Amino acid sequence: MSKKILLLSSVIFLSSCAATNISELGDKFLDLINPSDAATEQADLGGEETLVAVDEYSDATITEIEKLKSMSDGALIERAIAKGIDFELDADGNLIDRDKLIEDLVENSEALAALIDEFTNNGGTFILYFSYDDSEIDEESTRIIIDHANFMQDNPSLRLRLEGHADERGTREYNLALGENRALSVKEVLSLYNLDDRIVVISYGEELPILVGSNEMAWEENRRVEFSYY
Amino acid sequence: MKYFKFILLFYILLSFSANALLEVNILKSKEAAFPIVIAPFEIISDSSENIDIAKIIRDDLNRSGQFNALSSDALVGNQIDFDFWKEHKKDAVVFGKVEQISPRVYNVYIYIYDVFSEKSLYQKKITVSKTGFRRMAHFLSDKIHYVLLGQKGSFNTRLSYVTVTDEDDRGRTYRLQISDSDGFNPQTVVRSANPILSPAWSKDQKKLAYVSFKNNRSEVFIITPFMKTIPVKLPRFDGIASSPSWHPNGENIALTISKKGNKDIYLYNLKSEKLKRLTTNLSIDTEASFSPDGKSIAFTSNRTGQVQVYIKNLKTGKISRATFEGSYNAKAVFSPDGRDLALIHRVGKDYRVALLDIASRDLTVMTRNKSDESPYFSPNGGMIIFSTNRDNMGILSIISLHNNQIVELLQKTGEVREPTWSNYSN
Repeated sequence: MSKKILLLSSVIFLSSCAATNISELGDKFLDLINPSDAATEQADLGGEETLVAVDEYSDATITEIEKLKSMSDGALIERAIAKGIDFELDADGNLIDRDKLIEDLVENSEALAALIDEFTNNGGTFILYFSYDDSEIDEESTRIIIDHANFMQDNPSLRLRLEGHADERGTREYNLALGENRALSVKEVLSLYNLDDRIVVISYGEELPILVGSNEMAWEENRRVEFSYY
Repeated sequence: MKYFKFILLFYILLSFSANALLEVNILKSKEAAFPIVIAPFEIISDSSENIDIAKIIRDDLNRSGQFNALSSDALVGNQIDFDFWKEHKKDAVVFGKVEQISPRVYNVYIYIYDVFSEKSLYQKKITVSKTGFRRMAHFLSDKIHYVLLGQKGSFNTRLSYVTVTDEDDRGRTYRLQISDSDGFNPQTVVRSANPILSPAWSKDQKKLAYVSFKNNRSEVFIITPFMKTIPVKLPRFDGIASSPSWHPNGENIALTISKKGNKDIYLYNLKSEKLKRLTTNLSIDTEASFSPDGKSIAFTSNRTGQVQVYIKNLKTGKISRATFEGSYNAKAVFSPDGRDLALIHRVGKDYRVALLDIASRDLTVMTRNKSDESPYFSPNGGMIIFSTNRDNMGILSIISLHNNQIVELLQKTGEVREPTWSNYSN
């Protein structure tokens, strides 16, 4: 049963889809991206198999293992497919090695968490800053967002939450709208890579400042979009 | 800080119950306030407990900016020394007594005399239970206001606002609260670990609409305070839903909903549960507020690239720009007579409450604060309540439109924001 091949080919198919779309974008973004990278890196992923002894897992991981153990075969299979993890079924369609799949799932989420951590370099959250009463994406921000687009394409199981924020100046309701526009501007760039379905946009306006204060420093910190992968 | 010292110098501390707002009078205007005396009420009672009715009334009347209400050293009884009050330039004398008739029930008598004609202007006996004392005092304030000025006061009314506190056991806590018009008797309607925004009273005061992030996104809810009912959620599409404003008929609510990224104002009918789109511009349209007759809405839009206030006539569909001065005008609300808008106006780097005469387009900046928010008229149109920032904390502030006097209401801990004023109680 070669689900693995099927999954891999679908990954390559997805990547090539993305490649086509990127080439259709026109001159503006062509110099900023290298679509061929995505496919090769994806092919390498999951190739290695290492077994980690249970006593080496962190408490959080042990909790996750317990959670996975309590799940039905069907739910595990669903999750494995979503994560692009290989598994084997017998002739009746039952899971052959349940424990192995759980181990693979744990390993996968640990690897993914480490990958997100490394990519965002900030505990899994990346922050993009904006100017006063502005939701425009400048060229530098566009480059950064394209890095994120590539990262998402390399890791098809990842989803992204874009959280728009504003500084305290101006009215709360207007800032709520402004925060959403900021997150939507980021999404618009990511949409060019067909990532829409994996992105959620929300706005907190000025309600959750990073830095409390009525000065330029605090305002700069708070005009932002937070990228959270999950 | 200089400013803070200034506040301390002028403060008048009310005895305050737990969590009640305390009143700080920071800018007392001398001009054209009606000079009156409100003598201490005579207490005829066995119980030691008493609520200073005269003080509640004095504070109410002084807060309006219309009166300069002072106390007297001695009780004023049936023998009124009119010459003495003439000499001290008092135009009216108010006094009264509280008579306990059973453990829980009292008779309260009030008398208002004109000093120059030496005639009685008003007298009344009210029977009230112990718990109704404050309410009754506000009712009497409204009476005095009416008897002496010929215009209703705004005292027997309620405020609603949002408080934010950092608590040991709960962490950051948001509360939607209701209090008397002087900040006393605060009661929590909604408590949440997530932000609460934009409370709005229905005109009959039976319902409050507000924005909650309890589902980790902004959504509009309607609650019937103290009825223990589950808040009703209004519809949204794929983005924010926020900024509710009640139509005076209580059946329709204007709100901002984002659809495919476009934020527009919609009208939601609570009976038919249908939505009607009121604005279609691709820019941000938000902060709708109904005119008192329900025929038009004021709203904020950045359609020209600047943030400005517009008025839409709901019958003709015509949208006209209302603000022309400055690069940022937002969060406008209509005055009860529909002639003015109170709004937030940017002056340099500061955001201040301003009053706009809609017809003449005259704009008057009302404060010298750095960061004012959410102005709202008292139901008689004589005052504007708003929140402002002091040391990174929101506090409530009331400005008298009679003489621009400002009174601040402080909370013991945490911050208070986004006040709205209820209509008159029935």
